[in-house]
Amino acid sequence: MNEKTQREIFHYLKKKKIKNFVGVPDSTLKHFIDECLKNNNIIIATREEEAIGIASGMSLSKSNSLVFMQNAGFANSISTITSLIQLYQIPLIFLIGWRGYLSDDAPEHLKIGKIQPELLKIIGLKSQILTEKNWKVKCDWALKQIKEKKPCALIVRRMFHD
Amino acid sequence: MIRKEAVKIISSHIGNNPIISANGFMSRDLFEVNDKESNFYMIGSMGLASSIGLGIALKNPKKQVFIFDGDGNILMNLGSLVTVGSLKPKNLVHVVFDNNSHESTGGQPTNSSKISLEKIAKGVNYKVFVIKSKSKLISVLKDIKKLKEPVFLLIKISTSEERSKRVSWTPTTIRNRLMKSL
Repeated sequence: MNEKTQREIFHYLKKKKIKNFVGVPDSTLKHFIDECLKNNNIIIATREEEAIGIASGMSLSKSNSLVFMQNAGFANSISTITSLIQLYQIPLIFLIGWRGYLSDDAPEHLKIGKIQPELLKIIGLKSQILTEKNWKVKCDWALKQIKEKKPCALIVRRMFHD
Repeated sequence: MIRKEAVKIISSHIGNNPIISANGFMSRDLFEVNDKESNFYMIGSMGLASSIGLGIALKNPKKQVFIFDGDGNILMNLGSLVTVGSLKPKNLVHVVFDNNSHESTGGQPTNSSKISLEKIAKGVNYKVFVIKSKSKLISVLKDIKKLKEPVFLLIKISTSEERSKRVSWTPTTIRNRLMKSL
């Protein structure tokens, strides 16, 4: 996803009352994260589960929160998502960079990357893929989900090599 | 001092300030001795009480936010101490009830007796108190009311055969009660 769109997504969500951006950096999302940093509106955690915990505390305080991470970190966090976010029904938006979407991505990403859509489906976390064309509609969908106290995920595919 | 006694002393001294309580026997003890709307009982997601407490502390600067953790729990999320120490919330009290064991899973040892949680917490900007008696605990609870920095209470407790009942509230009720109290 291009730089301009990633920066726009941050400002759009902020305008729509997402107050907190907590997570672990990911190169697919680096322009989005850079925009959080520039606006001094970010907490970088040591692990993804920790980020989810912090954002949960904020959401429980009625302050809307987004957690960003790479899909490797999403895989780390599955038990936290099922036994905290889904069990207590804590509204959070997950923004996940999808490594291993391309079948020739770096080898460490291939196995989890291949099953990423199934992982989301199996744990029952509703998700949508963000693109440069549809991002506003999909962000509105996510905002509606958390308004109804449902956690959800927005996925950004890794379409390039570096 | 056993955990249940320490839990009773603290929860009765802090009014309706929120308590984020770790999973396992920790939350069962708190539920049994002093059930309040402002108690957030964790069931799963071991290790995350400190992180949830941090999020609540940052968003509720007028309340003193208490985290009830075990030694096994904090050892699973030592990174959270780094994040707390870097953000330096003025209203966070992290209580670790240290019995050197995973009591909830059958009393297996943790490594908390072989390292210094006290030094780790000091190294990441907490004001640290090590507590071994009920009288010390009561006096420390008075002292920390005025502090404007993250506080770490390391309470040395003994293991016990006493078992508290399970938390009977459903998770969404626990959530709603806490949200209402904040």
